[in-house]
Amino acid sequence: MSSTDTPAIKPVPVPDEVTAPFWEAANRGVLAIQHCEACDYYVHPPEALCPRCQTPDLEFREVSGRARVYTHTIVRDNVTAGFAEDEPYVIGIIELVEQERLVLVANVVNVAPEDVRIGMPLRVTFERLTEDIALPQFEPDGEG
Amino acid sequence: MDGFSGRAAIVGVGYSKLERRSPRPLAHFAREAAEAATADAGLTIDDIDGLGTIPNIAAYGNTGDLEGIDIVTVPKMAQLLGREHEIRWHVQTPGLCPDTIMAAAAAVASGACTYALVWRAVNVPKGRYSDFSLARAGGEHQFRAPYGFTMPAAWQSVALRKYMHDHGSTREDMAAFIVQNRENTQLNPKAYWHGTPLTVEDYLEAPMVADPFCLYDCDIPVDGCVAVVLASAERAQDLAQPPAYITGHAQTTWPTRGGFTDSENMWDGGAAMGKKLWASAGLGPDDIDTAMLYDGFSIFLYVWLEALGFVKRGEAASYIASGATALDGELPLNTSGCSLGEGRLHGMAQIAEAVLQVTGRAGARQIEGAAHTVATVGAGSLASGGLIFSREARA
Repeated sequence: MSSTDTPAIKPVPVPDEVTAPFWEAANRGVLAIQHCEACDYYVHPPEALCPRCQTPDLEFREVSGRARVYTHTIVRDNVTAGFAEDEPYVIGIIELVEQERLVLVANVVNVAPEDVRIGMPLRVTFERLTEDIALPQFEPDGEG
Repeated sequence: MDGFSGRAAIVGVGYSKLERRSPRPLAHFAREAAEAATADAGLTIDDIDGLGTIPNIAAYGNTGDLEGIDIVTVPKMAQLLGREHEIRWHVQTPGLCPDTIMAAAAAVASGACTYALVWRAVNVPKGRYSDFSLARAGGEHQFRAPYGFTMPAAWQSVALRKYMHDHGSTREDMAAFIVQNRENTQLNPKAYWHGTPLTVEDYLEAPMVADPFCLYDCDIPVDGCVAVVLASAERAQDLAQPPAYITGHAQTTWPTRGGFTDSENMWDGGAAMGKKLWASAGLGPDDIDTAMLYDGFSIFLYVWLEALGFVKRGEAASYIASGATALDGELPLNTSGCSLGEGRLHGMAQIAEAVLQVTGRAGARQIEGAAHTVATVGAGSLASGGLIFSREARA
């Protein structure tokens, strides 16, 4: 790590034409996932056309925020500023209950890294990064 | 077998020295490999009239792209060879080594050029391989980088965890492969890890990078260059070495939503590639004598063994642990040690060793009578490529 005068912060997402609704919802504390109205299919990360039926008929839908651990890793050797001091930390591949293999990346928080298990029930929570950006994160869902 | 297979061959292989954090610029390694490859073919630099490379920098999240230092592009190689006036054909595109090999094979088969030099020059990046130093994460990074999902090792480690969970494999199973691979490496004098054996205990006790990946699940970054020379099947017969005919080829684009988030995409995309590869050659897994499967990370061995149909889904770990992939097994695997043992050459290690095996030039690790070999490059998802090399032009 190089010494620096500014505190290390995590890279801040830059919303674009396709992804802006996701981040706008997250900023309001809502998990909204892109959905193809033509073939009834959730898409994440957001796309310009439905990757299954290629129509542009995509909307964002609020989802339950309930999920399971699809798989995960425990990072112990990352030099990137903003993360090195968090180690060990868990990156989850999170499968939302709405659709099989509908996965997103998030940290699994409020649990010891070694206690995270594939299949563990989770619920969404939000981590404020800046005034405009809140990151969806996931924590154990006791009610399963 | 399709109409293209069998019409071009790799006729020379050349390595630079493989070092780590060398004070020599990458351009020196590139010239060294080019000279070695042409000499191996019984040619000289002045015979080369085609050039092809993947010029990508080796780092993720870093900025090093100095010509001749961090990368060696086509224009730089033309200059290094003194061949600016004579190069009739070239290709340079981000991607994977089989892309360039296929383009060069088409060029020599069609007569666009006579002898094409294809190389991959890589260095050990300054600083860390995957230091994502951007303060803002746009595009594909926006759903990964803010979570610290910034390391290739982390992207792939999630696949190993899921595999162990779904199929009941263990770190001891993976240790069996890593140790076997390091044993092969001891028979390969040009390998970085030549002279450095590794035990099961070494693997199990190594530092965790992205659990369940430890240090030895990751390939070893090197400064170096591998080059090969391609010629048409007709010309290939009259050169210094027996030709390694390209009798099968496949490239697959497999755009996956979220990059490496859903690791199952690696198997889906790999299987799509394998189907095309076998069809192009008119061959199948049972015809292959030895396999060089991409191993930038250990989990890729499981992906490719299963996606190409050597074993069923979920059986790769136990297949390797049974000894079937050792040098004296039924499917000797990565006989040179490849990326994990020889060095991070982004698939050129696989291609070079497949050529050496099928031409009977693999020295102490030679598989007797090897007639068909396969080399794969990539992770299955995003994009991947595969080549089959044969001793005879028509498989």
